[in-house]
Amino acid sequence: MQAERWIYKLPLRLRSIFQRQKADEELDDELRDHLELKTQEYIAQGMSPQEARRSAVLEMGGVEKRKEECRDARGTHFLETFAQDLRYGFRMLRKSPGFAAIAIITLALGIGANAAIFSYVNAWLIKPLPFPQADRLMVLLSHDTKKGLSGNGVTSSADFFDYEKQNSSFEQLVPWTGWYFNLTGDGPPDRILGGLVGWNFFQTLGAQPMLGRTFLPQESQPAASHVAIISRGLWESRFAADPRIIGRAVTVQGETYTIVGVMPANFQFSLMGISNMWAPLAMDDKVRNDRVTSWFQAFGRLKPGVTQQQAGEDLAAISSRLEKLYPQTNTNQTTLVSSMLFEIGKNEGEQQILISFCLVGFVLLIACANVANLMLARASTRAKEFAVRGALGASRLRLARQLLTESLLLFTFGGAAGALFGIWGVHWIEDAIPDRIRGYIVNYGRGTLDVQTFAFTFGIAILCGLIFGLAPAFGSSGHDLNRSLKEAAGQISGSQAGRRLRSVFVAGEIALAVVVLICTVLLVQDFAHMVYGDLGFQSRNLMVTQLVLPPAKYKTDAQIRGFYDQVLARVRALPEVESADASEFMPFGESNQVKVIHIVGRPPAEPGEVLGAEYSAITPGYFQTMQMVLLRGRALEAGDGRDSRKVVVINETLLRQQFSKEDPLGQQLEIGDNHEICTIVGIVRDTKLFNLTDRPMRQIYVSAAQFPSAYMSIVTRAARPSTGAASAIRTVVWSVDADQPVSAVRTMDDLITERNTPNRILTQLLTFFGILALLLGAIGIYGVTAQSVQQRVHEIGIRMALGASSSDVTRMILAQGLKLALAGIACGLVVAAGVTRAMAAILSTVKSNDPLTYAAVAAFFALVALAACYIPARRGARVDPIVALRCE
Amino acid sequence: MSKPSDLVQGTLDLLLLKILALQPLNGFAISLRLKQVSGDVLQVSDGSLYPALHKLEQQGWISAEWKTTENNRRAKFYSLTRPGRKHLEKEADNWGRLATAISHVVKLKET
Repeated sequence: MQAERWIYKLPLRLRSIFQRQKADEELDDELRDHLELKTQEYIAQGMSPQEARRSAVLEMGGVEKRKEECRDARGTHFLETFAQDLRYGFRMLRKSPGFAAIAIITLALGIGANAAIFSYVNAWLIKPLPFPQADRLMVLLSHDTKKGLSGNGVTSSADFFDYEKQNSSFEQLVPWTGWYFNLTGDGPPDRILGGLVGWNFFQTLGAQPMLGRTFLPQESQPAASHVAIISRGLWESRFAADPRIIGRAVTVQGETYTIVGVMPANFQFSLMGISNMWAPLAMDDKVRNDRVTSWFQAFGRLKPGVTQQQAGEDLAAISSRLEKLYPQTNTNQTTLVSSMLFEIGKNEGEQQILISFCLVGFVLLIACANVANLMLARASTRAKEFAVRGALGASRLRLARQLLTESLLLFTFGGAAGALFGIWGVHWIEDAIPDRIRGYIVNYGRGTLDVQTFAFTFGIAILCGLIFGLAPAFGSSGHDLNRSLKEAAGQISGSQAGRRLRSVFVAGEIALAVVVLICTVLLVQDFAHMVYGDLGFQSRNLMVTQLVLPPAKYKTDAQIRGFYDQVLARVRALPEVESADASEFMPFGESNQVKVIHIVGRPPAEPGEVLGAEYSAITPGYFQTMQMVLLRGRALEAGDGRDSRKVVVINETLLRQQFSKEDPLGQQLEIGDNHEICTIVGIVRDTKLFNLTDRPMRQIYVSAAQFPSAYMSIVTRAARPSTGAASAIRTVVWSVDADQPVSAVRTMDDLITERNTPNRILTQLLTFFGILALLLGAIGIYGVTAQSVQQRVHEIGIRMALGASSSDVTRMILAQGLKLALAGIACGLVVAAGVTRAMAAILSTVKSNDPLTYAAVAAFFALVALAACYIPARRGARVDPIVALRCE
Repeated sequence: MSKPSDLVQGTLDLLLLKILALQPLNGFAISLRLKQVSGDVLQVSDGSLYPALHKLEQQGWISAEWKTTENNRRAKFYSLTRPGRKHLEKEADNWGRLATAISHVVKLKET
């Protein structure tokens, strides 16, 4: 029946929108007919024509009023008045372009900043994983119940297979590890980043190849022939998008691999970083039965209906069984289940984005409050116009509605300009992210400029327009008609309520601006400390390149040593190079290695209390090249050769944690699974390891001559910044081995900057927000003070006529403005105390409640407020009492 | 005498639908018929008649058509639509129930 009704309703609705004139004419005809018939009837009853006519009209009860009621019945009347208000609003904006421009620019900045940040919230937090039913993907984290520490990766290889066999929560568990492939043949040797993955990696994620197939179960067997899947990017760049790529053989690490599949461009597994090639992770029995270590990570897909918590309990039960079976290795070891959605956000940027989102919301509120204040100010100067309209019969609601429509119009323009500004903002953030770290970043660091983002942008614009438009609407609809009409133009003071509202807005605005500024200042300080802080080495003019020697070609220690010795000798001979050395671990590099250590002579470690240390084999001059400070003892020397006593240098943190009472020099460390015994000969300062924010860790350095490694980085110190050195170093490596891939030669400063990207972007964004908040706050308090001076010209005139000096007046106005500012600042400090607590997690060198920062920002804001009030105060002081009093 | 606006909410609508259920009429004729059928008990002013008619029309219960009357005037004739007829049946039932219930209550003897 509903649908059938619309057959009748729809044409009527359309007619009242598109043929309003005709509908109105018909309405006129209908009522006129009625009146005529009625009049004739009364005449027939014996009335005079005039009397008959009058009775008919009376009975109708006001023809125009009835017409309006009939029009109201159309239901589209609302639209008509809306259109009318819109037209009127447009005219008003055109008539005061200054006001319109300031309001729209303010809103555009506020809304645009929100749109840009939201596009990242959207990409990062709302739809970060391009996989079907991504919420069922879970990451396994090893966890030490005694130390309360969690780590990526599984507790041990053997444990992983027990979890895989015994769990009842997961459809599949998948082991994986980041890996690199030395690709040779078909062009220059290339080092491709990628991963070794369980055969079920792609199926479990739910990712389909664009060409070929994914891996088969038997391809995970150690004896299986080698197969690989490549990314679309690699397929295009190295294989010229060869459509017959499937089945093609390539040389990887000196062995032959067959390409079986190509993944599409949107395939991204951001836990792995940039990855362009994947091969099956094959484990032999020795690895599968290793209950001590593991070198891979794992994720799984939950069975339908199983929750994360149930899966966690399931694995915890298996863990405690394993703990009883293998107390030596599994005491305190368990495995946690964390959602992949959470893990990828946690890796990079989530906190930064959330904090930005929160602060950018504050900036928007400040912008809105400013615009609302502008509108309030305008509404009070338009009081006369409203009084006239009210006197002509417009209801208060009708006037309020018109003001609301005008504010919506303004905010919609602001939203449109904001969307443009937001797009620019997203591009700015995208460009600020270095390409090399994109792989680790959700959605490759791109914001999502989609329907949701634009809906959000216009949603907040309209919402703010409604909320902040209500203020002037109610502020001015409360005017006393008589008073407003009687008062002379220019003398109209805003209603008391309106003025109080403006003060509240300004105080609130200042409070929010103080919060944003405190957060900004904290973050900038933290960033400065990090960037100019102590690395433990000198990064200037250092260049780094990582070399991975293929085991198939470099089979013996002598070959490995020979290669690095030759490369180092030739690099050192380059004119621009001051010194060059090699190290297995490189700060801010891509790989690291932790080895178990034991101090000889101490009782064996309790299970779960085994010591680990960041391990690196280095060439003798490494500390010198890095300009690391040797605290005691000696550095590793050329004399620490293959046949001499094995030695180790430890860092400060290891010294502090383990040798508080005794002298470490001369003591012995037992290192790694092979239980190598090394004598401690020196102590060096701590260095930063991966990020500027890292806490120091235990580190040990051994001699590369005694512990050769095929995974060394060459670090070179140039006398001065040099661009030629990079290619010279590559050429040197190829002169030693023409097939050896060389990763890009990069400066240490670049590596550090790259690692610090999230903090750098956040700091720049927040600096922008902070300045914006400060400016808007200052404009806000200026506006309110200026208007109050304008409205009080008369009063000031009287005061001066009665003997107040102009400095008295200045002081009075300043005091009034300052009172408002101080109230705002006080509120701001309280709110900031709460907000900054949430920031504590991303601050590494500054306390979130640093009193100096709070005090400085408060004082600074008071000064800015004072300066902003000074201009109107001066104007007030220059009031000529005679003019002020005469203008009545 | 109570004013038309005091008519029970929706009563006027019900009366109009019922009148139009008998035959299509124009506004003036409806006003005459209203007086005729309800006598002086229900006074519906001409003022409230037209807004009520337009509202029913917009709701799809009745439809309007311009036709020529017997004395050669063009007039807007209202007639009941199919959904309107069903609506009338439902409303009439409701009204019947309500009226019965109220008259039962009113007739209760005081003890």
